[in-house]
Amino acid sequence: MTQSQLDPTPHPATAGATLLEVDDLHVEFQQRSGVVNAVNGVSYTLAERETLAILGESGSGKSVSAQAIMGILDTPPAVVRGAIRFQGEDLLRMSDEDQRQVRGPGISMIFQDALSSLNPVYSVGWQIGEMFRVHQGASRKEAKAKAIELMDRVRIPAAAKRVDDYPHQFSGGMRQRVMIAMAIALDPRILIADEPTTALDVTVQAQVMDLLKDLQRETGMGLILITHDLGVVNEVADRVAVMYAGRIVERGTVDDVFTDAGHPYTEGLMNSVPQVEAKGGRLQPIVGQPPNLAAIPSGCPFHPRCARRRLGADAAPGRDCATDVPPLRLVVPGREAACHYSEEVLGV
Amino acid sequence: MSPAAGSRRLSKLLVALEKPTGGSIVYKGRDVATMTGRALKEYRREVQIIFQDPYSSLNPRMTVGDIVAEGWSVHSDIAPRKDRLKRTQDLLDRVGLNPDYVNRYPHQFSGGQRQRIGIARALALRPEIIVCDEPVSALDVSVQAQVVNLLEDLQDDFGLSYLFIAHDLSVVRHISDRVSVMYLGSIVEEGTDEQVYTTPSHPYTQALLSSVPLHEPHLRGQKDRILLQGDVPSPADPPSGCRFRTRCWKAQDICATEAPALVDRGQGHPAACHFAEARAVVPVDAE
Repeated sequence: MTQSQLDPTPHPATAGATLLEVDDLHVEFQQRSGVVNAVNGVSYTLAERETLAILGESGSGKSVSAQAIMGILDTPPAVVRGAIRFQGEDLLRMSDEDQRQVRGPGISMIFQDALSSLNPVYSVGWQIGEMFRVHQGASRKEAKAKAIELMDRVRIPAAAKRVDDYPHQFSGGMRQRVMIAMAIALDPRILIADEPTTALDVTVQAQVMDLLKDLQRETGMGLILITHDLGVVNEVADRVAVMYAGRIVERGTVDDVFTDAGHPYTEGLMNSVPQVEAKGGRLQPIVGQPPNLAAIPSGCPFHPRCARRRLGADAAPGRDCATDVPPLRLVVPGREAACHYSEEVLGV
Repeated sequence: MSPAAGSRRLSKLLVALEKPTGGSIVYKGRDVATMTGRALKEYRREVQIIFQDPYSSLNPRMTVGDIVAEGWSVHSDIAPRKDRLKRTQDLLDRVGLNPDYVNRYPHQFSGGQRQRIGIARALALRPEIIVCDEPVSALDVSVQAQVVNLLEDLQDDFGLSYLFIAHDLSVVRHISDRVSVMYLGSIVEEGTDEQVYTTPSHPYTQALLSSVPLHEPHLRGQKDRILLQGDVPSPADPPSGCRFRTRCWKAQDICATEAPALVDRGQGHPAACHFAEARAVVPVDAE
């Protein structure tokens, strides 16, 4: 399958070769209560030097799909189907050891909660150096020197002095920098950042996002940014994929999607957040709750909450929101949406 | 504003869960720290709190009805025993929950619904003030707006005053009439929402506002971005003089020796900075 079929939205002009192709990814969890369908047929591509934001609320499948790429889901209970091609090779068809050889230096990930992602009983220098000891067979001394170098690169002040400190001796922002140092240690081609700044103060958040963008400029890595924060997406990403109930419901360049949403869910999200630029009038929330992934609504999974839904006699033939699943389709050039009536949402 | 700013501790002081080591909280002319007996009981009824985490703030072994009605076992004069079920159901209905769910347990509700339970519990005692301690920060974006709107409606209906503690600057601007910005345990700037957001005068407020990511593509890059160096110092060992000086680009010798008073230095509202100067950092959305 070619890139344009998987992900036809325009990549930024600066983007390079395709690094990652996620093709019809499904992730389900077998639980006593039934099957939880966390990811339901997600496809996208990521190129060198580009930043793709995956925007969604809790339970949208945005983190689980990233964990599937990283191979850090326990299988079972998780069942992963589809294809995840990194530089052309399908990770899901490889042996565990081969996957490790590819992912280790190729794809890395940082998480929201840096404190619980770091081991409290080892110094940060030891944990950063582990990358070099395990993957490159470096000696302890070499590994420590490289750890100091990396801590400098992620702008931790007095790195040589702090290399032997433990995670609890660092602030939240500095811990996230330690995580980033570990993640970029082997010069990965792809960095997946799962809510990297959610737990941080807004001033520190800006510093960390700046650091990630600078590192991307230096190394040309592709960045997948998983977040629920519309502002972070607008300021950092080139393209955005909006997820709901385990599917991508809208995709396009950030400029296009944020200027004029093409899916009622995206539109609802934009209307429900207050903005710092103005006091604004009454918020317009999306009614109801995000769906239970063990019982995703029939048809369009968003239809029970959608103000624009058309049911029964109101619907066009084959486009009843309660029974017909809307595919993710190109609505206008460069923009896809999984809504039967996206043209009306966009006003085209 | 930030976790280390001291706002969390403030909420516990306000509802008399902790005692201040100095200063006083004066409510209707009386110092809360000296209140005892009936006066303290009455204060605790009139000043209620909604917590951030709707998961850990509700007792998992109690039904929703018992949680909402619990305050009446202390303040029994508010609701006569025979009316309590009806009253509880009315409250659930008022906060947007199905009144038939009165016998359900917290785990049967979503995060947004649990926060509504916490709001009903606070309302049950007919408070005058509700301390809202990060009431929407644990909620999903689409649900957050539902709770913000509910809080606004209840304020209008019951004439409530809110002391709203939050770090989300957009939510704060939306909901507040007046704003106090805290840094490392002290208020550094105070004013109406308009004053603080359009003419911030303390360097910390300016840095804070300039760091908020904007939602409009056409405003991207138009912001006068101020990147602060370093981290928030430990509140156990704050810097001498002005507590913000270690991260401030305006800091002079005087800042290390003399703590700036929170006074108006010509900006129309008070800021605790020797070199306070109004500076617009958030672009105005003309659309």
